[in-house]
Amino acid sequence: MIEAHELTKRYGDKTAVHTLSFTIAPGTVTGFLGPNGAGKSTTMRLIMGLDRPTSGTVLVNGKPYGQHRSPLREVGALLDAKAVHPGRSARSHLRTMAATHHIKASRVSEVIEMTGLAGAATKRVGGFSLGMSQRLGIAAALLGDPRTLILDEPVNGLDPEGVQWVRQLVRDLAAEGRTVFLSSHLMSEMSQTADQLLVIGRGHIIATGSVQQVIDSVASGAVRVRSPRADELAAALTADGVTITSPDASMLEVSGTTAEHVGQVAFRNGLPLYELSPRGASSKRRTCS
Amino acid sequence: MSTLTDNPPMTAHATNPPAAAQVHPTFPGILRGEWIKVLSLRSTWWALASTAAVITLVALASAMSLSATTDDPALAQGIEQMHGAEVIAGGFHFGMLTIAVLGALLITGEYATGTIRSTFAAVPSRTPVLGAKALVLIVLTAAVTLVSATLSYLVTMLQLSQYDLVPALDDPGTWRVLGGTLYSLIAAALFSLGIATLLRSTAASVTVALTVLLLLPGTLSFIRLDWVETIVSYLPLPASSALLTTGAAETQGVYLSTQASLIVLAAYAVVPLAAAAITLHRRDA
Repeated sequence: MIEAHELTKRYGDKTAVHTLSFTIAPGTVTGFLGPNGAGKSTTMRLIMGLDRPTSGTVLVNGKPYGQHRSPLREVGALLDAKAVHPGRSARSHLRTMAATHHIKASRVSEVIEMTGLAGAATKRVGGFSLGMSQRLGIAAALLGDPRTLILDEPVNGLDPEGVQWVRQLVRDLAAEGRTVFLSSHLMSEMSQTADQLLVIGRGHIIATGSVQQVIDSVASGAVRVRSPRADELAAALTADGVTITSPDASMLEVSGTTAEHVGQVAFRNGLPLYELSPRGASSKRRTCS
Repeated sequence: MSTLTDNPPMTAHATNPPAAAQVHPTFPGILRGEWIKVLSLRSTWWALASTAAVITLVALASAMSLSATTDDPALAQGIEQMHGAEVIAGGFHFGMLTIAVLGALLITGEYATGTIRSTFAAVPSRTPVLGAKALVLIVLTAAVTLVSATLSYLVTMLQLSQYDLVPALDDPGTWRVLGGTLYSLIAAALFSLGIATLLRSTAASVTVALTVLLLLPGTLSFIRLDWVETIVSYLPLPASSALLTTGAAETQGVYLSTQASLIVLAAYAVVPLAAAAITLHRRDA
């Protein structure tokens, strides 16, 4: 389980992620979809306690990551497959991590076997292909047999067979009741791997829901709203995790939701509407709040 | 807040096999992890081997140059006041450089490669990692000093015996000089580790370490101003001088007392490390 609440991270005057709130449930594979630079890796570093949020909180399995007694048992992460000292062997890299937690050498061998690295385990990582580095990263993530897995672009650089293997692996892990959160910048990849999606763009959450819901909401296009109190309406809709652009002061373009939903939010908040028009509408529409 | 699934499946039983209940970070575990890290890199062995080689070779060179000293009537008297252990320790400040590089690499190697994220994911409290690195560095420095001193003792024996300077192993002066060498090398190594943890870059750290350890005392010694000379005496290399002699040099006035030297060198080791430990938590990895 991963719970983010109003998570914001600024580097200097650049805001990498902006008031992200989401919950990643156990037992499913949740895809984190967004273009490069959207804030996926930043979010994952924040979850892992590697970077400190500017504001907001994020809990993994009920606690901030750093407060867990046995961090590697709780969360296994692959953040950057190439982030391993090139002069060390794959096995040594895994042993250094295992030693901190008194994880047995047999478990190191086990994850090496599982990830298909047995033949390369004693070779220096500097000579690894990206695909092999990904396998090592996944081996490191699995080392503590964690309840939650966080994988940043795990299929990058893998051969088709490796991609299949990762898909099956994450499904199996989720089926065991674990939380699996993996990122990609490819919708096609996500649609084949994930059950649930969290879509991020420019540090904001654009859409959430099941893969089908997100595809539908994208297909349903945007909703145009005019209101004399557009600011308040925007704030009310933002809380539900949709994208809003504001071409002028009284107009909003809302995507990731439906006209019905916008109308209901406006009604609940007592906000007058002058216009509410779905654009590029498709017949299958669902809310995803 | 948006929730992705309404009914998370309740399968917690599958996630925690009882066999792994004892699995959590402890300081001995972290220390073992750091040992595996440092011993699994060739750069460590290179740094250690060059430290031993440099110290031994310079000791040999200074032993061989003793004949030049005796040929010069002006210097010939000095040899009588000399202690053989000082000749053996003659290469120590070059060893200080290579050991400082090792100290820096211990942490900058992790930042440069990104391994630091695996390290801090495994040990989110971070400070014990720095403590373990410091301990590993002390042990390695002690080991390489012991090896270097033994080698230096053996290779200089022939030359030193001609002047009856072979240091006696039951002479406290011998152990004073060797102890001072060890203390100074450890201080230099820890200083470098602390600076490197603050700066996170190999090039920057090695530059700072070399400047403070060697370059500044060398260049500033040309300036004959009282206050500059005072500053110079507090730099690590001049500060270690009192620890590397059998006592005669103290009377020259430029050097700090033995006690002051011990304190000054300890400060070089501890202050950057303490600052690093504090900032380690606050900064993004």
